[in-house]
Amino acid sequence: MIPVELYILLSSVMFTLGLYGLVTQRNGIKLMMCIELLLNSANINLVAFSANQPNANGQVFALFSIALAAAEAGVGFAILISLYRLYGTIDLDNINALRW
Amino acid sequence: MFSDFAYLIVGLPVLAFVLCLFFGWHLPRGGGFMTVLATFVGLIISWGIYKEMPALPNGILHQSMPWFANFNVGILVDPLAIAMLLMITFVVTLIHTYANAYMDGDPGAARYFAEAALFTASMLGLVYSDNLLQLFIFWELVGLCSYLLIGFWYRKPSAAAAAKKAFLTTRVGDVLFLLGIVLLYNNMVSLNLHLAPGEYLLQFPVIYKYLALIPPTQLTFVALCLLGGAVGKSGQFPLHVWLPDAMEGPTTVSAMIHAATMVTAGVYLVARMFPLFYAAPNALTVVALVGAFTALFAATMGLTTFDIKRVLAFSTVSQLGFMMAGLGVGSVVGAASVGISIFHLIGHSFFKALLFLCAGSVIHAVGTNDMREMGGVGKYMKWTAYTMLIGGASLAGFPLTTGFFSKDEIIVTAYEYGLAQSFIPYLFLVLAAILTAIYTFRLWFVAFTGEPRSDYHKHESPWLMLGPLCILAVFALGFGIVAQGGFYDYVGTNFDHYGVNFAELGVIGGHAIEDAEGVAAEGEHAVAAEGEHGAAAEGKEGGDAGEPWYIQILPIIIALGGILVAALFYYLHKFDPSMITSERDPIRKLLLKGYYQHEIYTQWFAEKVIYGTAIVCNMIDIKIVDGALNWISEVIVAFGGGVRRVQTGVVQNYITAVMLGVVVLVVVIEIALQVGFV
Repeated sequence: MIPVELYILLSSVMFTLGLYGLVTQRNGIKLMMCIELLLNSANINLVAFSANQPNANGQVFALFSIALAAAEAGVGFAILISLYRLYGTIDLDNINALRW
Repeated sequence: MFSDFAYLIVGLPVLAFVLCLFFGWHLPRGGGFMTVLATFVGLIISWGIYKEMPALPNGILHQSMPWFANFNVGILVDPLAIAMLLMITFVVTLIHTYANAYMDGDPGAARYFAEAALFTASMLGLVYSDNLLQLFIFWELVGLCSYLLIGFWYRKPSAAAAAKKAFLTTRVGDVLFLLGIVLLYNNMVSLNLHLAPGEYLLQFPVIYKYLALIPPTQLTFVALCLLGGAVGKSGQFPLHVWLPDAMEGPTTVSAMIHAATMVTAGVYLVARMFPLFYAAPNALTVVALVGAFTALFAATMGLTTFDIKRVLAFSTVSQLGFMMAGLGVGSVVGAASVGISIFHLIGHSFFKALLFLCAGSVIHAVGTNDMREMGGVGKYMKWTAYTMLIGGASLAGFPLTTGFFSKDEIIVTAYEYGLAQSFIPYLFLVLAAILTAIYTFRLWFVAFTGEPRSDYHKHESPWLMLGPLCILAVFALGFGIVAQGGFYDYVGTNFDHYGVNFAELGVIGGHAIEDAEGVAAEGEHAVAAEGEHGAAAEGKEGGDAGEPWYIQILPIIIALGGILVAALFYYLHKFDPSMITSERDPIRKLLLKGYYQHEIYTQWFAEKVIYGTAIVCNMIDIKIVDGALNWISEVIVAFGGGVRRVQTGVVQNYITAVMLGVVVLVVVIEIALQVGFV
């Protein structure tokens, strides 16, 4: 059996990568992908701990989380499409109408 | 039976006001007949109440209902009020009738009659209010109507300015009046009275009843504040400046508001509150001095004016001064002075309304106010000339006319006051009476005799105008001789209906005249009381006997002498005014300039003092009050402007901040765990 520390290590790496991408990238779609990375790293944690115990709750949570992530991606891409129609770009640096 | 319809005296003119305002446009002569009718029915009801009053409890009509808190609305008709009600409804009915002809063809006739009806309603309401608050409300309404009617020809800049001046000047008095009411109310509240049901603090009977309990100094404050209101409304010095300017309105307005009725409201207020003035130390002295000074001051200005209406306006101010002085000298004759003063008020309203309506008739025909352009009008307008002669004779105090009896009585009472306290009011009043006779007949001779000095339309006015003139002339001539003695007793005993004890109040006020009645006059009063003992007794009988013969016939000499002087100068032309004065004469210049009142009131006081103060206040307001607020808001805005830079709008910055926050949080928690806080 693979020790749980390795799963945690994997999910940490994924989380850090996602975070790094979020902070450095400017493209809206890349940001969406980074957010997916963050969510999935959490999912890995959930599944790993669940498999380590005689309990399926974590895996059920992970399924919910994936469904939510799909919905969130749908909303996010819809926003990006309408932003593109409005501004002709999805570079988030240029989209600052609500700034002071 | 008439008493049950007392409210209609005010109600009908209000109805006429509404009808004229909305439907007058479609009716002949602006619906003026409704205004006449409403006032005339008021006259009938008033007469009915007058006949019924002796049978009522206490001989007065008192109806009241609660309003809010401890205030009420009510009707109080006592001899003082009924005298005013009858006079107002009678004179105003005639003036409205006259106005039907006078205002015919004016595009604003409907507006005129609506406002005139509202004025009538408020004046009548003022007179029979049963409490001070209600009186004040009608008082303000009367002021509003005065403003509206002075500015009736509002497209004329001088009329608009005069209306504004009248409104602002009387406002000074009104603020004092309101202050007086508040002071009186506070004092009444602090007495912790246990009022019977149906009694309210500001009701006149209640005020009369508990007056003696209020501290005398407070009474003086209240009295002087109320006097301030009266001074404003009745055009007494120093708030008289608006009244001559008020002649910008139609002549009927001058006759109705600025001669016969509204301006008497101030005198009426003092008469109504006479027990309070009587009980307040020194208040009546002030009333007497203000009145006497105004009487003389205005009379001198009447001498040099050439505008026919302004002469009459100055004469009104002067005669109102007589009435005030008549009340003021009441400290020696007690409540009898109310009878004397109100008698002059009623007589004055007859002959002054008459004089104004005659002047209106002349202006209507000639088309100018300037006497210098008239001359010889009497030849073409016989009725107007003779009725005006009667009015003038009455104003001048020609023997056996109404003005003779009423003015004579005030002067004689002032003489009694002189014996007891000071001859200043007497002196002023006598001089004013001489001048009155001179300027009145100067007016008549210059306008009605001689040769026409300009080309004017020579025609007599229509009968709708002459009718009221003739009726008023009859009253100006005969009212005095008929009503004389009985009237004093009727109105002079007004306060007996409320059981006001003037002997007791006199002790508080320091007058103590009725010591024969058994009230001991102590110390300082004793000397005065001795001197006026006899006088007081006669005062009650109308002052017919007791004074030396030369005092008795002095008014006759004054009147005849004044008329003679005027005739010598302006009719027979034996003398010419230039023989006694020259262009450089300082007194003549002073009079022509109207005592530099325009310079003092407008150019110095209004434009320098008030405007200067306003500028300083404005500076303080902008620099300090607004400045502090602006400074605070500027600091906050600047702070916000700095802080908002944090919100870059770049999502990455936010994420970084969140991350850093989490890291800090983790570190803090870790340290806390290590140290053992948690």
